[in-house]
Amino acid sequence: MPDLLAEEMATELDSDLAEAQADGVSATEILGESDPRRFAANWAGERGLVSEPRPPKRRRRIWLWIVVALFLVLFATWLALQAVGSGSATSGPSVEVTPPRRVSVPNVIGMKACRAVRTVAHSGVDDWRVIGHQHGYTCDLVVVGQSPAGHVIRRDGQPVIVRLRLGRS
Amino acid sequence: MRRMASESRRSQMLRGVLDLCLLAVVVDEPAYGYEMTRRLRERGLSTVGEGSIYPLLGRLEREGLVATHREASDGGPPRKYYSASPSGRRALAEGVRAWRDVRGEVDSVLATIEAEVA
Repeated sequence: MPDLLAEEMATELDSDLAEAQADGVSATEILGESDPRRFAANWAGERGLVSEPRPPKRRRRIWLWIVVALFLVLFATWLALQAVGSGSATSGPSVEVTPPRRVSVPNVIGMKACRAVRTVAHSGVDDWRVIGHQHGYTCDLVVVGQSPAGHVIRRDGQPVIVRLRLGRS
Repeated sequence: MRRMASESRRSQMLRGVLDLCLLAVVVDEPAYGYEMTRRLRERGLSTVGEGSIYPLLGRLEREGLVATHREASDGGPPRKYYSASPSGRRALAEGVRAWRDVRGEVDSVLATIEAEVA
């Protein structure tokens, strides 16, 4: 509190209380307060020397709102990160979540070996084998048999593997 | 217990209009603090309770509703005199109008109630 104002308050009260005492009026009646601290706090508050303290409940409530807001922000950030993560996972070119339930096995009987293998490899089957030619084969051989035969088949949880038997035309 | 509650209610009601009462006692003639208390007593307001006039005078001065000056006193230090400023007079007129409206409305509601004293 500035000294000048304190001095002014003290002088004013001193004179008034002396006069009140002469009239037989008690100090409490004049000040309206029996607690000097409370009186000083009121006086300083009304003079604008100190800001009035906020009720503690209100302060607690503000903190509660801050905590709730922080939690919501963190939760929203977590959700956003989850969405970005799952988005990048599904857009990746190498991940095939589930293979098609149906696959069309081409009929390559009578086809030259190399062309038949290419055709089968690009048909969507899971794998292929050339039977009876473990040490390699030449493209002039032809397919004389295949299993399964050329048709649309349904996957039953097992990989679709095409076996080709080669021979001379 | 009941008396304390009654005094508390009186004090709360008075707090809303005590500034008007202070302006009213200095609107015609300046007065220093204790003299204002004396004028309030003369007009029937004997105790101001928790709402001491001194903090309130500080607010009125800060808001420019009262003007102050110092005058020499008999034998003591100069005394601080308060008088209603032009804006204080306007505030007093508006406040009195608002008080009469509220008083009338509350009286209308409470008029039919008979106060019972146990």
